[in-house]
Amino acid sequence: MTEVSVTMQVGPGAVAAPAPPLVVEHVAKSYELDGGRIMPVIGDLSLTLREGEIISIVGPSGCGKTTLLNTLCGLLAPDAGRIRWHGREVAGQPQNVGYMLQKDLLLPWRTALGNTMLGLEIRGVPAAQAEDRCRAMLDQLGLHGFADQYPSTLSGGMRQRVALARTLVNEPDVLLLDEPFAALDFQSKLLIENDTVKLVREGRRSLLLITHDIEEAVSLADRVIVLSKRPTRVKTVYDIALGGDRRDMMAARQTAGFSDYVRQIWADLDVVLQ
Amino acid sequence: MTADIDNAPVPAPASKAMIAPGRRWLRLRSMLAVLATQLVVLAAFLAFWEYATGQNKAAAFMFGSPSAIFKFLSQMAADGSLLRDTYVTGLETLLGFFVGNCIGTLVGLSLWYSRFVSRVVEPFVIALGSIPIIALAPIIIIWFGTGLISKVAMSTLSVVIVALVTSYKGATGVDPDQINLLRTLGASKFQIFRKLVVPASLTDIFAGLKLTVGFALIGAIVGEFMSSSEGLGHAIFKAGSLYIIPKVFAALVATIALALALTFAVGKIEQLLMPWRRQLR
Repeated sequence: MTEVSVTMQVGPGAVAAPAPPLVVEHVAKSYELDGGRIMPVIGDLSLTLREGEIISIVGPSGCGKTTLLNTLCGLLAPDAGRIRWHGREVAGQPQNVGYMLQKDLLLPWRTALGNTMLGLEIRGVPAAQAEDRCRAMLDQLGLHGFADQYPSTLSGGMRQRVALARTLVNEPDVLLLDEPFAALDFQSKLLIENDTVKLVREGRRSLLLITHDIEEAVSLADRVIVLSKRPTRVKTVYDIALGGDRRDMMAARQTAGFSDYVRQIWADLDVVLQ
Repeated sequence: MTADIDNAPVPAPASKAMIAPGRRWLRLRSMLAVLATQLVVLAAFLAFWEYATGQNKAAAFMFGSPSAIFKFLSQMAADGSLLRDTYVTGLETLLGFFVGNCIGTLVGLSLWYSRFVSRVVEPFVIALGSIPIIALAPIIIIWFGTGLISKVAMSTLSVVIVALVTSYKGATGVDPDQINLLRTLGASKFQIFRKLVVPASLTDIFAGLKLTVGFALIGAIVGEFMSSSEGLGHAIFKAGSLYIIPKVFAALVATIALALALTFAVGKIEQLLMPWRRQLR
């Protein structure tokens, strides 16, 4: 990984406020289709993820949410615009960023523990130390006693917990999650959402959650960003001010303002039957 | 948050001892039923063969008979030629199997590294794969002589392309999302290769291994047909030229036994190397 340029500007005498973990400025991305036609996917997109903040991104289906995520974590290069991590533009994969998809992507030949250790192993953390950290993380996510089982013997909810452990054990500053809980049943989903939010808030991490589930978006996030249809840009930003304990997803869903937000965002998405 | 896992499945049985005795008995019984039926079918076939050839001298000459085959088998066992021929052919097959699969798998997996090289190589691989190996036998004998090496070479050539194609297919079939995941974890190309591509290809590699047991044996036997002084192929060829049909079948029985033993060994190695697949069942 090479740093292209340091663009953080600190004026003389100014107090150096830490740059936000992620700043996206006017990013555009298009694909070339067969036959040379250019299809713009991301039009002009800007957003800022602050330290310790949880943002949900919702948008009409096919609006390029996954392209956005892959661009953010350096798997795709943007055509235009800048992506700054902690004030810096980064070529290739940004460090300290965790990435999790709807598919758990567990390696079937590794046990739950082995899968969790993948990131630490790649970074060359000594095996004994890595194992201790991973066992502790699995315990924290309610997987005590399942560390030595292969993924094929675990339920969908447990597999996604292992994937979450694999992401969190690397201590990322920022988590990028692409519909990670979409395939789970309602109860599993609420429980794993609770654990995710708890661990993110306790660790002062930031979270960018891409989802199509408006209720999930509202109950988790400090802000919900609604995207437009392709070519994608930010349509509306909602500051979610729900009272009560923001670590309890069930409580969040029962607060007074919750259903108003859901209704507004639903209207904003302008979903039409096709 | 420790024990609140919803829908937790019953932990998978860690060993067979945890399967309820009733279910275990049922499984054993169905296995025995299959085995018994197989034995009955085999016995009926052998009995029919014995009976039909017993009625007719010409048929006995043309088709041999189980009892004559058994007579030759015990005779060959007694004079030591059975063990010697099986050993010779087994060694040729095993060496060809090993060398061919090593080369084929290494090349096939490493082609994953470079899309460019694999595209350059592809037509050559297809061309080499389409050559009937038997057509190469005369050249192989000129190059490597009439001894062990030429049979190992024949066997290797029969195996190498299949091993290459199956392992390349395994390596390129890896889920791109999984590769992306490793990239976001900071993995180098070599780490992706070692931690993801190689283990993910094992299923295809072992499918190739099972397939190539037979090919390796064909290579060795064809090599012996062309020129040899010992081995099961030699025994078959010699007995065939002398019209001793039951002896051909006797050597064939030994060949089948050899193939079964090798396939069984590959299956055992697969189980040892891929323990996660045992828990699937």
